[in-house]
Amino acid sequence: MSLEPKDEMDHGNWMESRDLTPIEKGYLTVLVWLDKRLRIVDYLEIVENLYYKSNMQMPKSHTEQYNLDNKFWYWYPLYALGSLSTIAYIVAAISGALLGFYYAPAAAAGNCGIDGATVAYCSITTIMTDLNFGFMLRSIHRWSAQVMTAAVFLHMLRVYFTGAYKEPRELNWILGIVLISLTMVFGYTGYLLPWDQLAFWAGQIGVEMSLSIPLAGEWVAQLLFGGFTLGQATLQRMYILHVFFLPFVVTTLIAIHIGIVWMQGIAEPH
Amino acid sequence: MTDTETDPEPATDGGEEVRADGTGIVAPDDETPTWRERKERSQGLSRLTYEYFERARREDQDLRTESTYVERDVLAFPTWPHELIRNLSITFFFVGMIIFLSAALPPHIAAPADPSTTPAIILPDWYLYWSFGLLKLGPLNPELAILGGEKLMADRTYGVVANIVVVGFISMVPFINKGAARRPVEQPFWAAVGVFGVTFAATISALSVKNLLAPVIDTHLLFDLTFLLPFVTGFISYGLLKTMREGYMFSLNRRYYRLRPPK
Repeated sequence: MSLEPKDEMDHGNWMESRDLTPIEKGYLTVLVWLDKRLRIVDYLEIVENLYYKSNMQMPKSHTEQYNLDNKFWYWYPLYALGSLSTIAYIVAAISGALLGFYYAPAAAAGNCGIDGATVAYCSITTIMTDLNFGFMLRSIHRWSAQVMTAAVFLHMLRVYFTGAYKEPRELNWILGIVLISLTMVFGYTGYLLPWDQLAFWAGQIGVEMSLSIPLAGEWVAQLLFGGFTLGQATLQRMYILHVFFLPFVVTTLIAIHIGIVWMQGIAEPH
Repeated sequence: MTDTETDPEPATDGGEEVRADGTGIVAPDDETPTWRERKERSQGLSRLTYEYFERARREDQDLRTESTYVERDVLAFPTWPHELIRNLSITFFFVGMIIFLSAALPPHIAAPADPSTTPAIILPDWYLYWSFGLLKLGPLNPELAILGGEKLMADRTYGVVANIVVVGFISMVPFINKGAARRPVEQPFWAAVGVFGVTFAATISALSVKNLLAPVIDTHLLFDLTFLLPFVTGFISYGLLKTMREGYMFSLNRRYYRLRPPK
């Protein structure tokens, strides 16, 4: 007796009975193969839903319906700021990954012919002068970071002045504050990586700031900066925060932030 | 092997033979509790959760059947697809803007780090100026008479605490300002608080770069303006919005009652 399980639905026979073009047949074969393993029909409804909604006519929004303000579109660019910061974040992530191929977070003496330059500093000058499009790459990374920070600040102002933080959106407001803080930490850690004069002394301010936190100050300085004087440990920690720790945390939080917006809809002033 | 023969595992599943190949699944009979019964039998928090969900669903259903307005289905502007499609259409413009900026204004790199020479101007990036400015509030740190003119905390600690207070206040806003008012004209006070905050962010940032601004404006004047200007702009916007409010609420109510005349 064979232990071969019987195909109750017998999709094979069903496909034979249909007059299918090779494309249809190939498509169905792949679909059935995948579905047997991953049971994608369970998720098909979600995709269908997205598809049909994208073809739907736009319903009138609350403000349009009640003709509360027919000049609402005036303010529309301000409603795109959250989106803009996400886009800038993606651009920064891509250009940052490319920069990461060439950057080395080492505070040892570099050999690029500049007096007092470290390996980190030399890798940046190499990117800027020797690498094809390297200057542009660094420029894009820096500008997208600046644009993201600016957009995030303005996004917060828009949310404040349109009262979009009110019930039921309080949690997303707090999540937004966490995100704006992490964005600034992202910027700060990135600012330190070139290990030039600006970076070094900004790092010095950071150490002093964390040292002046009551009770936990020394512990925080040790944890974030690897000691009370700046050096290899600081650079290494800033690098890991910037390219490993923060990307995971911030990306997850952005996904949750946008997910909540998706669930709750865009709050309009009314 | 003899172990298992002499001391078999106690049967906890009714004593039937358990087949691990997945073929032993028995269709539910009359004795098998339905999912509803299983849920209803449960106790404590899960029971409460179930009851609440049932109530919430009933509430939604009631609202839907009671409503004579089909349009009430739109409670907020849908994120998908409306908002996202609108946003995607300007995505490319934004990315283009970033690329244009980076081509036109490439970044500068300073001299290599040198712990032995302190530069004349030490600055973080621009978006941290406000926080950096809050660190320079030393002159406002109260000297307590009971401590014999001693300060309660060091100036540096005072600055860090100021940062925590500002961020803490901002995160508490949704829990302090409640109600349905959304637009600035509907809540002049909170709009004024916002204008105060924006102005203060600008002035405190200016204070943080007082070394740079020294040729332009006297440092003491700058310090005074840092705390005066926010109040000025806050009061002005409060007055303006308060004035606009009456006319605004009038036309809003008129349009509203035209659409839904009072019964």
